[in-house]
Amino acid sequence: MGDVVGWLDDYFWAAMVVVRVFAASLVMATLLGLIGSAAKLSKIRIANGIANAYTVVFRGTPEMLVLLIIYFGSAITLTTIAQIFDPEIKFVDIPPFWAGALAIALVVGSYMTETFRGAFLGVDPGQVEAARALGLSNFQTFIYVRTPQMWRLALPNFGNHMLSLMKDTALISVIGLEEIVFVAEMATTVTLKPFTMYFIVALIYLAISTVITLTVAGLEKYANRHLESGR
Amino acid sequence: MNDPMDQPIIVLENVDKFFGAFQALKGINLTVRKRERVVVCGPSGSGKSTMIRCINRLEEHDGGRIVVDGHELTSGDKNIDAVRREVGMVFQSFNLFPHLKVIDNLMLAPRLVRKLGKAEAREQAMHLLERVRIPDQADKYPSQLSGGQQQRVAIARSLCMNPEIMLFDEPTSALDPEMISEVLDVMVDLAEDGMTMIVVSHEMGFARKVADTVVFMDAGEIIERNPPAEFFEHPKNERTKLFLSQIITH
Amino acid sequence: MSFDIALVFDSIPKMLEGIGLTLELLFLSTSIGLILAVITLLMRISGRRFLAWPAMAYIYVFRGTPILVQIFVIYYGLPQFDLIRESIFWAILREPFGCMVVALSLNAGAYVSEILRGGLLGVDRGLHEAGKALGMSTPQRFIYITTPIAVRLAIPAYSNDFISMLKATALASTVTLLDMTGVARTIVAKTFAPYEIFIAAAMIYMVMTWFIQRGFGLFERRMSRYVKP
Repeated sequence: MGDVVGWLDDYFWAAMVVVRVFAASLVMATLLGLIGSAAKLSKIRIANGIANAYTVVFRGTPEMLVLLIIYFGSAITLTTIAQIFDPEIKFVDIPPFWAGALAIALVVGSYMTETFRGAFLGVDPGQVEAARALGLSNFQTFIYVRTPQMWRLALPNFGNHMLSLMKDTALISVIGLEEIVFVAEMATTVTLKPFTMYFIVALIYLAISTVITLTVAGLEKYANRHLESGR
Repeated sequence: MNDPMDQPIIVLENVDKFFGAFQALKGINLTVRKRERVVVCGPSGSGKSTMIRCINRLEEHDGGRIVVDGHELTSGDKNIDAVRREVGMVFQSFNLFPHLKVIDNLMLAPRLVRKLGKAEAREQAMHLLERVRIPDQADKYPSQLSGGQQQRVAIARSLCMNPEIMLFDEPTSALDPEMISEVLDVMVDLAEDGMTMIVVSHEMGFARKVADTVVFMDAGEIIERNPPAEFFEHPKNERTKLFLSQIITH
Repeated sequence: MSFDIALVFDSIPKMLEGIGLTLELLFLSTSIGLILAVITLLMRISGRRFLAWPAMAYIYVFRGTPILVQIFVIYYGLPQFDLIRESIFWAILREPFGCMVVALSLNAGAYVSEILRGGLLGVDRGLHEAGKALGMSTPQRFIYITTPIAVRLAIPAYSNDFISMLKATALASTVTLLDMTGVARTIVAKTFAPYEIFIAAAMIYMVMTWFIQRGFGLFERRMSRYVKP
């Protein structure tokens, strides 16, 4: 136990990094999912094509490779550009935090695209007809009738995507983000207690997963409140 | 009953509608005057629903003309929303917005489309809920109501837009038998207030009681069109006779 | 810097040296995972707490933590205990390959047992009652009615999990293994051409994903032949 106590504040701050990278990535992934699903459902051919290519590529490529491409690819591009202005510069990179958040968001966003698409299709077409018959415009129907009902259908899968996204943050240690896996690596070299140190990492992730799961369960209950029978 | 002062408000001339190769409507001609109550009946797949869905352009017709209160419905129509505001529609499956409370179902379109203030929209909604006899259900969600109550909410929701015309697409077909009369009672009230109505229904008692005209459709065509007394007592066409015998033996 | 298309295609054959290891990892761990999943599922639905609770705890832990962390706990962590190093399992756990298979299998077992349970829950209760009314025993109903339908219902989700497993094998490169991603990383270290090499690797993974989807698609169609004419 004594070995652990000295590292607790490192774990704590590293866990905060996980939470921040999770939040940043979740916002990006959700936006990508909404845009992607709108593109897939639109009648514009080019939008369909781009969205389809996006989901095929990012659902078919390991997260690890996406991360390596984004980080090392952007680094080599930025370095080349920087050397035009100052040949002395050896290496420029995007901060691992943002490279990692973006890479994970691209992957999870492709899954969210499919989830949102399915959820939009799951809303009863009669709902759209009723709204149109009342004289609501397409846009009003989208905002007030389709999206609120889409969310309820998307939530269970959305919750699962949140969990994968959170777990994918562990990968970012590979490009040097100082999060909890990184701390465990440091701590192991000092204490020579690898099991203890990585086990703590697992516990932290398990705790965050639990919080997310409970939050999603609460949201689902809220989203389904209109379905609870009153009698 | 047929006041000669009442002008035609809906005119269908030679209307065709295709679904792929299947012709759902074949040269439909129908004129409905202001305050007229029309009941449309016929076997399933005869084009009844398609016809009334064309009237507020949930389906686009492929041939002929449809004129609603002076607006001709054409493709790429800019005034379709204006027409829809004048034409209320009640669906077989209610189509209430499940995520909104009853009162909010009634307030949504008036606030968004007619730009009413919140208080005004609420007052109107409560008034209409009283008219359909369920003001006490205002704060429930649709799923907490019985089918008959849901359909009455749906009628009130359409009335919120102050329509000139009400279309009913088999409003009682999805209901348990004991709930049918509560919905029909509301529709009778509406008819007595002088609403122009087209009702697709097999409720022959309702047709006898309130209809000015009964229309029988089969295979995309209007086969017979007469006042109810004539229609039920002396059907002319063989298909009408067959249909009526099937309905009655049911 | 310029994007060298020729390098993309030149590097593909080299990358394919790693495909054997990737496929070994994939098929070993999905097979073992499937066995674990069935055992876990039977424990969960047994109705006996001392069986159901450990199963639920196993699923909870392995679904709630990143695979990378599971790999590190097993590969770096377990040798901390003398007990492990002296046990018969050491032959497997001293090798990164063995650790990788253990971690991936345990992970697949947890996910797949939930997928199978989802399929089971999707089977119409009425069919159970119909089986009962015909005088079929509980095991008979489970084997002849519930299982075939549950399997069909579970195929789409299982197919997705299989693809996730393929993608997870790429983590082998973090424990020094030379799977496709591992090979790609060593080539990048030499050529410093990350776009070309990693995109070449990504293309191979996409082709494999396509084959997996297609395979499961055909299987699903076969299992569903009674649903659509």
